[in-house]
Amino acid sequence: MLKMNNIKKVFRTDLVETHALRDFSLEVNEGEFVAVTGPSGSGKTTFLNITGMLETFNDGRYELDGKDVSKLNDNQRSKLRNEKIGFIFQSFNLIPDLNLFDNVDVPLRYRGFSAKERKRRIENALERVGLSARMKHLPSQLSGGQQQRVAIARTLAGEPLFLLADEPTGNLDSLMARQVMQLLEEINQQGTTIIMVTHDAELARRAQRNIHIVDGQVSDYQQLEPVLDVAEPKTITA
Amino acid sequence: MFSYYLKLSWLSIKRTPMLTALMIVAIGLGIGVSMTVLTVNYMMDKDPIPSKSHQLFHVQLYTYGEGHRNNRMEDEFPYQLTYQDAMNIHRSEVPLRKTRSLSTGFSVIPEAADMPPFLKSARAIDHEFFSMFKVPFLFGGTWDAEVDQSPREVVIISKELNDQLFKGEDSVGRSINLATIEYTIVGVIDSWQPAPKFYDLNNGSFNDAESIFVPFSLLPIHEIPSWGNNNGWRSEKINTYQDKLASETMWNQYWVELPNEETKANYQQWLEGYIDEQQKIGRFQNKKAAASLKNVVQWMKVNQVVPSDNSILVWLSFMFLAVCMINTIGLLLAKFLKRAPEVGVRRALGASRSEIFIQHLVDVSLIGLLGGLVGLLLGQLGLMGVKHLYSSYSQLVHMDLTLILIAIGITLGSSVLAGLYPAWLICRTNPSVYLKIQ
Repeated sequence: MLKMNNIKKVFRTDLVETHALRDFSLEVNEGEFVAVTGPSGSGKTTFLNITGMLETFNDGRYELDGKDVSKLNDNQRSKLRNEKIGFIFQSFNLIPDLNLFDNVDVPLRYRGFSAKERKRRIENALERVGLSARMKHLPSQLSGGQQQRVAIARTLAGEPLFLLADEPTGNLDSLMARQVMQLLEEINQQGTTIIMVTHDAELARRAQRNIHIVDGQVSDYQQLEPVLDVAEPKTITA
Repeated sequence: MFSYYLKLSWLSIKRTPMLTALMIVAIGLGIGVSMTVLTVNYMMDKDPIPSKSHQLFHVQLYTYGEGHRNNRMEDEFPYQLTYQDAMNIHRSEVPLRKTRSLSTGFSVIPEAADMPPFLKSARAIDHEFFSMFKVPFLFGGTWDAEVDQSPREVVIISKELNDQLFKGEDSVGRSINLATIEYTIVGVIDSWQPAPKFYDLNNGSFNDAESIFVPFSLLPIHEIPSWGNNNGWRSEKINTYQDKLASETMWNQYWVELPNEETKANYQQWLEGYIDEQQKIGRFQNKKAAASLKNVVQWMKVNQVVPSDNSILVWLSFMFLAVCMINTIGLLLAKFLKRAPEVGVRRALGASRSEIFIQHLVDVSLIGLLGGLVGLLLGQLGLMGVKHLYSSYSQLVHMDLTLILIAIGITLGSSVLAGLYPAWLICRTNPSVYLKIQ
C-alpha cells in the first residue's frame, strides 16, 4: 500500500549538503499503526513530508496506493494527497480566521464535493470528535486538545486511507495527549492506516509497529502488540 | 470555487486591513490620475458625430496670393473662406446638404423691463445646418429654404435662452429683439453641446454652442458682424461692410454633406472648375490654388483638437500608475508571504499550486476592484479640478460608461499583472517549511 525503496533526499545550500534520507526503504500495509521515532534531525519529518508528497526526493521509488509518485505532476499529487492522505500536525495548523466548520471544510472544497455533501461530512466529523456544538467557534476560542481534535476532524471528513501525524501530542498536556491518542487508535481500528512521528516512547509503544530512524536510515523495526484502551468511549466531549 | 476564493479574499482583507488599505490607496491614486488625464484626452478626441462624421466635409480653398500660406496647417490651406467664395460655391447642387456659417453675436434686449440687455454668441447659417449636424429641436423647427435666398428676420434660439426669456414655454411665433431688430422665433433647440465644437474649430474648439441662430442671408442686410477670426492676407481698404463682403478677407466657413465617394469626387471636380473660373477673372493666381475637402475627423486632426502635449500627459499618467502598481507589488509580497503558513496548510490538505495561484489572483483582483472604485472617485475629483481650472473644458470633464468600463478594465488588468509575481512566488513555496513552525 505504501512502499518506499532506496529513497534518497538531500538538502543542498551553497555551502552544505545534508543527507536527510539515505537509501530509505519501508513498506506500510493497510490498516497498520506505525510509530516513527528517532533523535532530532534523524529524518523523521522529512520521511513524513515525502510520504505526504509535500517534499520531492532525489532518488529511489515511492509507490502510494499502487501509484508511482515520482511520475505524477503537481495537480495529480495534490489530488492524491487530498483524496488519500490526512495530516495532523504538532501545532494543529488550523486556519485562525476560519471557524471550525470552515476549517474542516478546507480539504473538502478542493475535493469538489457538493455543499450538501460537505455539510454532512463536516457535521459527522465534528460530531465524532465531540465538537459539533462549537462549529461556529474560532480556533482561538478552543483549548489545545480541542484544536487538535478539530484537526483530526478535518482529516476524518475526507475519509483518507492514510493519516500522517507529526508529533500530534507534542503541544498537549498528558491528559489531552491521552485523549487524542485514544482518538487516533479508534480511527485506526476503523481501518485508517496511521503513521505517527513521535519522540514519546510511551506513545510509540501503543503503535503496532515501531520504526526507529537514525541518520536518515531505518535502524530498527519492532513489531509490537498494540496497547489499546478498548473501554474508552468512541466520542470524546470537550 | 470562485465564490470560495472571494470569501477567502474578503477574510484576507479583514485580516490585514492596513496593508490592504495602503494597496487600495496606491491603486486608487494611480487609477485616479490616469483616468483624469485619459478622460480629458478621450473626450477631446471623441468623434462628436459618429454617424455622419465621414459624410460632413469642411470646404477649404487655397485663395492666398504668391508667398502667402497658413503656417499652422500642414497643407497650408486657409481655415476659412471669403464671403464671395462662400456665396459662389453655395450655388453648387452637388452636395446633399450645405451651409454657410459665420460666428457672430447680438445684444439681446428682453421684453421684460426689469431684465437688462445682454450679449449672446450667435451663428449665421443656412437652414440645412440643423439637419446636417443633427441638432435636436424642442419646439418648432428650422426656417423655410426660401429664407436662405430671400432673407427674413427669423431666429432659432437655444433651450437655455428660451428658459431665460420665456421661462421654458413654447416661444415659437414670439419675437426677440436682437441688436434693436425684431426677429420671429421659428424654433427652439434642445440641449446641444457638441464636444469638441467640430463645426467651428478655429473659434474655440471647446466653446459652448451658440444660443442664437439666424439666416446667413441676413448678413448684407443687417451687416451682421463677425465675432470669430478674420484672416486677411493682403492689404485691402475695408471701410464699409460692403468692402468686407467684396474683400479677400477669410471670415466665413462652409460645410457640405456628401453621402458617398462618388458625390465627393463630383463635388471636388466642381470646386476645381470653380477655381478655373475664378482664375480667368484674375483671382486664385497662386500655382498652389486648389480645393480641399476634410471630413469631421480629418478636420479635428489638422486643427490639433487634441494637443500633442496631451499624449505625453497620458503616458506620464500611466507611468505614475506603473509606479503605484510597483509599490502594490511590494505590499502584495508582504501580504502574501505573511500568509505563507496558511498556504502550506492548504497545500497539505490538497490544494494544488494552480488553485493557490488562482486564489491569490482573485485576492488581488478584489483589492484592485476596490482600488478602482477609489480611483474612479479620485478621478471625478480630478475632473472637477480640471473643470474649475479650465472652464472651456466643461463639456469634456465627465466620464461616460465607456470610460468607467475602461477604468475597471485598466484596474483589473494592472492589478492582476501586479499580482502575478507575488501569486507565483507564494504558490511555489515549499509547504513543509511552514507546517512545522506555524
